[in-house]
Amino acid sequence: MAPQIIDRTIFDQQTILLVEDNEDDVFIMRNVFKKAAMTNPLQVARDGEQAIGYLKGEGSYGDRHKFPLPVIVLMDLNMPKKNGLEVLKWIREHPSLNTLTVHMLTASSLPSDIELAARLGANAYLIKPGKLDELLEIVKAWIKVNSFAAFPALGA
Amino acid sequence: MEPDGKDGALLRGVLRAGESAGQSTEQLRLATQHLASIVEFSDDAIISKNLEGIVTSWNAGAKRLFGYSAAEMIGGPVTRLIPSHKQDEEPGIIARIRSGERIDHYETVRLHKNGKLIDVSLTVSPIKDADNRIIGASKIARDITEKKKTEAELLRRERQLKQAREELLEHARKLEQRVEERTLELRESNHQLETLVYSIAHDLRAPLRSMQAYSQILLDDYVSGLDETARHYARRIIHSAETMDALVLDLLSYGRIARSEMFLEPLALESVWKTALQQYEKDIGDKQARIETVPPLPRVMGNEVTLGQVLANLLGNALKFTVPETAPSVRFRTEERDRLVRIWIEDNGIGIDPEYHDRIFRIFERLQGQAYPGTGIGLSIVRKGIERMGGRSGVESTPGKGSRFWIELPAAGP
Repeated sequence: MAPQIIDRTIFDQQTILLVEDNEDDVFIMRNVFKKAAMTNPLQVARDGEQAIGYLKGEGSYGDRHKFPLPVIVLMDLNMPKKNGLEVLKWIREHPSLNTLTVHMLTASSLPSDIELAARLGANAYLIKPGKLDELLEIVKAWIKVNSFAAFPALGA
Repeated sequence: MEPDGKDGALLRGVLRAGESAGQSTEQLRLATQHLASIVEFSDDAIISKNLEGIVTSWNAGAKRLFGYSAAEMIGGPVTRLIPSHKQDEEPGIIARIRSGERIDHYETVRLHKNGKLIDVSLTVSPIKDADNRIIGASKIARDITEKKKTEAELLRRERQLKQAREELLEHARKLEQRVEERTLELRESNHQLETLVYSIAHDLRAPLRSMQAYSQILLDDYVSGLDETARHYARRIIHSAETMDALVLDLLSYGRIARSEMFLEPLALESVWKTALQQYEKDIGDKQARIETVPPLPRVMGNEVTLGQVLANLLGNALKFTVPETAPSVRFRTEERDRLVRIWIEDNGIGIDPEYHDRIFRIFERLQGQAYPGTGIGLSIVRKGIERMGGRSGVESTPGKGSRFWIELPAAGP
């Protein structure tokens, strides 16, 4: 499929799926997104299984008006049930989702984690910094990069 | 006396003398008498027998060896001396003698009068008459019991030695195998430990991140609801969280440098130094530090990541331990000594009392209080990292006159 160029106004309206089990991290990410003036709708999955359910459109997630397919999945690594790498593997093995943009967002800078994520087809690997200001810097840059990036159109 | 050699030759000489015409009977008699006395006093048993195996002569040596007197043996069968399990030897010996053969140093066992077996070495030669017909055999028997014993002992010792050697080899093999197993186990447990340390550090950092972030959110978003004391407390929480985060990160770095496999390669010192400078770009700008890099910067043998961290730590210290109200000045230069490169990082900071020059490289050692916050791990990473790359590190300093830290690594050539 040829990538289509999406302009900034369109990216702003695309859903971002945050897969994060830590309640504090979810709160902090929301706070930082707000400070970075991010307008994209944000959906949150609390663990790997929920993320797969969301992407599959299971149960109430079947309502794609309420739960649209995301333009980017921002995925934590260490989570209960299915971890981020397992979800990534599932996504890449799933025919209609294997071009979905997945960015890992984790505190782990373990070389083996980074290598495995790359091997499994992660599009980016972001390491959570220790300070809120640094996180804000990263998120601002991340939004800027993504608003100029081209994403493949996804079918349900 | 050497009956087999000299006397054997003599015997043959006498026999030939007897055969040749023109020899006087007297000469022959004298020679025979001489010969008989040699035979009689020989240490060896000298026996003769006819082709039917009947003993025809028996010397004193034979009596000593076999226990029988000449009277007992002469006229009797020689097979008396042969133990039952060796009886079939005699027909073979007789057959060979008949065909004119001589049997040399044939080792076997014979029977003593007292029933004991004796190890003997036999030399059997045909006896011919005047017409050159074979009429019997002379037999020289030598007691080789001692020799056999010695041989048996030698063989036993040899076997013992061989066995001991095999046991030793087996031990060595087992030891090697155990060392291999232990090494593998150690590597495995080392790896597990590293993974454990990593996940502990990861889990320790998560709540710190939250503490830092929530306090920061308080200051950012709820500042109007907080008075100065409350804001101060929030800042103290942030500071503590950040200190502990730095501690966890430094401990992780130290652990990685102390344990991880270290691949060494020729490094362009200039690019590693530049990377360290970039890391402190903001600090250098903020403090208006003067950085002087003095060429040449030769290539050194090292690990890029580790040397990068070592240089960054030393640079960080030079920018940190500064005299108040004084812009930091850092000089980076090298010295080539034999096949080593000594790298100097010199500053105009507060300096270090010589009493502490060794201690500051130890983990958790700190000389300064709140004025210069730190984890006390930075220089221990420097020392450990340089050590792991096969080099040395040190400092020259006087309080108030700056510090000159040095590290030494093998030169990598041009």
